[in-house]
Amino acid sequence: MSDTRSSYISTALRDGSVLRRVRHLGSARGGLREWRLQRLTALALIPLALYFVASMLRLATSGRITAAQWLASPISALLVILFVLAGFAHMLAGLRSVFLDYVHTRARLLLAHLFVRAATAILAGASLLAVLKLFLDH
Amino acid sequence: MRMQRPLSPFMFPIWYRFQMTSALSILHRLTGIALSVGSILLVWWLVAVAAGGELFAATHAFMRSPIGMLLLFLWSVAFFYHLCNGIRHLAWDAGYGFELRSAYRGGYTVIAAVLVLTVLTWAYVFIA
Repeated sequence: MSDTRSSYISTALRDGSVLRRVRHLGSARGGLREWRLQRLTALALIPLALYFVASMLRLATSGRITAAQWLASPISALLVILFVLAGFAHMLAGLRSVFLDYVHTRARLLLAHLFVRAATAILAGASLLAVLKLFLDH
Repeated sequence: MRMQRPLSPFMFPIWYRFQMTSALSILHRLTGIALSVGSILLVWWLVAVAAGGELFAATHAFMRSPIGMLLLFLWSVAFFYHLCNGIRHLAWDAGYGFELRSAYRGGYTVIAAVLVLTVLTWAYVFIA
């Protein structure tokens, strides 16, 4: 064990075997799944969020290209949909970890989770409908 | 008077001595929460673009108002910070940069990157 450690650092992010070793352990049982989801969505969001912000900058400063035209193209519509999905999944995991640290009664924790899940579902649903409408209208 | 043993950051403002590392860590969560609230702005904008007409005109006017610009500015700072410091966290998660020196070096790099990206972004908005 210590021999392999010196030549190869394994972490839960990089090595699936670490995940196998700790699966079903700990107070949260499946807690590592959410931990990994948070990291994987973080990785996806690096290019997706940069693309979104760069597009916003282009729209804000061009004057000619409109947002509706931008979202009519399949590539930008797809990338914005992926950005919304990864972003809200990441947000949900992050807010849940904050609640787990600061909300100390079961009832309040459940209420906080339910509220954030409902709000996220509504926000993500509205975004997807908006993008699809713009894409399909053109 | 200062306690000699390690203290939880929750002992601030009296007992806890802030280090850059803990301040940046707390800031990562705060910007994450801020961006969660800020996502409402993003969804509102997408819906306004899809709805068009009066709603889009009102949204556009709001974003261009001083309050709207301030919100967008804060959104951009929170975004760049969470992005840069998030990359720092991913490096830690992958097993790199745990030495104290790397933690500080990474922290200063993040602060510098956020400053540069924010200034470049808003300079571009106002010049272009």
